Amino acid sequence: MVTKSTRLRVPVAGDLQAIWLTGLLALVTTLLLMPLATPLAWWLARSPSRAKSAIEAVVAMPLVLPPTVLGFYLLVMLNPDTFLGGLWVSATGEALTFSFAGLVIASMIYSLPFMVQPLHSAFRAVPESVMEAAATLGASPRDRFFNVGIPLARRGFLTGAVLTFAHTVGEFGVVLMMGGNIPGETRVLSIAIYEHVETLNYEAAHSLALGLLCFAFLSLWLVYRFAGERVEVIRG
Amino acid sequence: MSHRLVIDGQLERADFVLKLALDIDLSLPVGLMGATGAGKTTLLRILAGLEPGFRGRIAFCGEAWSDTTRASACFIPTHQRGVGLAFQDSRLLPGRTVRGNLAFAMRRASQEGMSLSFDDVVKGLYLADLLEQSTESLSGGERQRVALARALLSKPRLLLLDEPLSANDTERRLAMLAQLAIWLSAEKVPVLYVSHAQEELRRLTHQLIIMERGAVRSQGETAALLTRAMDADGVSNHHGDGEEAIVVATDADELSVVLERAAGTAVTGPSDLAPGDRVLIRRFTPDTSRRDLALQPQSKQDEPETE
Repeated sequence: MVTKSTRLRVPVAGDLQAIWLTGLLALVTTLLLMPLATPLAWWLARSPSRAKSAIEAVVAMPLVLPPTVLGFYLLVMLNPDTFLGGLWVSATGEALTFSFAGLVIASMIYSLPFMVQPLHSAFRAVPESVMEAAATLGASPRDRFFNVGIPLARRGFLTGAVLTFAHTVGEFGVVLMMGGNIPGETRVLSIAIYEHVETLNYEAAHSLALGLLCFAFLSLWLVYRFAGERVEVIRG
Repeated sequence: MSHRLVIDGQLERADFVLKLALDIDLSLPVGLMGATGAGKTTLLRILAGLEPGFRGRIAFCGEAWSDTTRASACFIPTHQRGVGLAFQDSRLLPGRTVRGNLAFAMRRASQEGMSLSFDDVVKGLYLADLLEQSTESLSGGERQRVALARALLSKPRLLLLDEPLSANDTERRLAMLAQLAIWLSAEKVPVLYVSHAQEELRRLTHQLIIMERGAVRSQGETAALLTRAMDADGVSNHHGDGEEAIVVATDADELSVVLERAAGTAVTGPSDLAPGDRVLIRRFTPDTSRRDLALQPQSKQDEPETE
C-alpha cells in the first residue's frame, strides 16, 4: 500500500475524460461568469449605493460557506420539481441536477467571488479624476466604461479569469452534492481522485492529485508574474 | 452671437460653501483669479457638471445646463455640455501615449466648437517630439501641455482653463501665451481662464472675476482690476497724483495683494505689503506695458516698493 501510493501511473481513459470534463467546465464557467461579473464589479466599485455592502456580502458568501451547504441548496433549488428546475426541463427536456449544465450554474455561483473581487479592486483603482477628464472630453458613461475603465482594469480581468478557472477545476463538495459521479457528465477531477482513494487505487489518485497541484501553482504564478507588475499603470 | 453665462446657486461641502450669482458675457475671454481655496476650480467643476451637489441654476447661451429651482429639475451631464476643461493636475488617460490622449479627445469632439487642427495644436504647444511617449514618462509641464491640447482638440463650446501653463518655464509659457492669445481671438470660443499670473490674465482676458472664500469679490475689466507695483523710477516720476487704497489681503503663496479703493477692488503683484497698509495706486499708461499702475505705501513715499 504505502510503497504503491508513491508511484505515479499514466491516467487511464476514465481519468482523461475527467480531465477533459473539468477543463470544459472551468472554461465555460469562466467565459459565462466574466461578462456577468464585470458590470456587477463596476457597479460595486463606483456606485455610492447603500445596498452595496449587502451585495458584497452575498457575492463573498461562497468563500465562507461549506461547499456542501451551497451544493445542498442548489440541489434543492434546481431539482425538476422546483420552478427553476421545471423551467429548465420544459426548455431542454433534461434535469439540471446531476447534469453538466447544472454544474456550470453551480460553478458560476461557487466561483463568483473569484471573478468579482479582482475586478472590483481593479475598477476601484481606476481614478475618478481620469473618469471625470474622459467625461469632459465627451465620453458618455458607457463609453467611459468600455474605453477607460476596462482597459485600465485588464490586470483584474487576467487575475479574475485565472482564479475562476483554477478554483472551478478544484471544485469538489458542490459537485458531489448536486452532480454526483456520472462519467462524461459530472465526474470531474476531484471526484475521480476521491473515487480512486475510495477504491484504494492510490497510484491513480496520486497522478491526478499531483497534476492538480502543479496546475494550481502555474495558475498562481501566472497571476503574480503578469498581473502584478502592471499596478503602476492603473494608479496613473 | 451672445455667449451669456448665468450661474445662480450654491454648493455646500462639509468645510466649504460656494455661493455664486454671476451673469457673465463670454464674448471675450474672462479671467478668474483669487487665493488658493477661493473656489475657482470648484466653479469650473460646477460648470463642467462635475459637482452634482450644486443647487441652483446654470444657463449657457440660453440653454439650461442645470436647474434645481423648478419642479422638473434638469441636469445636462458632463459629456453633453461640450465643455473643454484643462485640469490643473492634467488628468491624462493612463496607459495611452500622448497621441492616444489627443486622439481620444478628437474622436469625441463635437462639430460646433473650436476648429483648430491637430498639427497646429501640436506645434503651438511643443508636443511634436512627445507624441509617441507614454503619459507616465512626461514632466509636469509636458503633462499640462497635453491636457491643454486635449481640451482644445475636443472642440469645446466653452473652454475652461485651470492654470493651464503654470508648470512650464517662463520662456515656453510666454510663447504659448502668445499662441493661445492668437487662437482664442481667432476662434471666438468662450473662455474662462483661471490664473494667478497677472501677465497671463492681462494678455488673454478682457473681463476679470476675483473670488474670495467661496464668493465673487469683484467683477470688472481686467485692466482696471489689475495693478502692478512699479519700479522706483516710475513711482518717483509720478509722485503725488494717486488713488488711495488699503491692503485688505495678501497671499504669500500666489504673490498677489488685494487692495480696496473707492472705485472697488484691485489686485497687485508681489510686494511686502501687509493687510492694513495704506497705499497709493496710480494708473500709468494702460495697455502699453506691464506697468499699468504704480503703487507705493503712503507712509513711506520716499522709499517706494519694489518687486
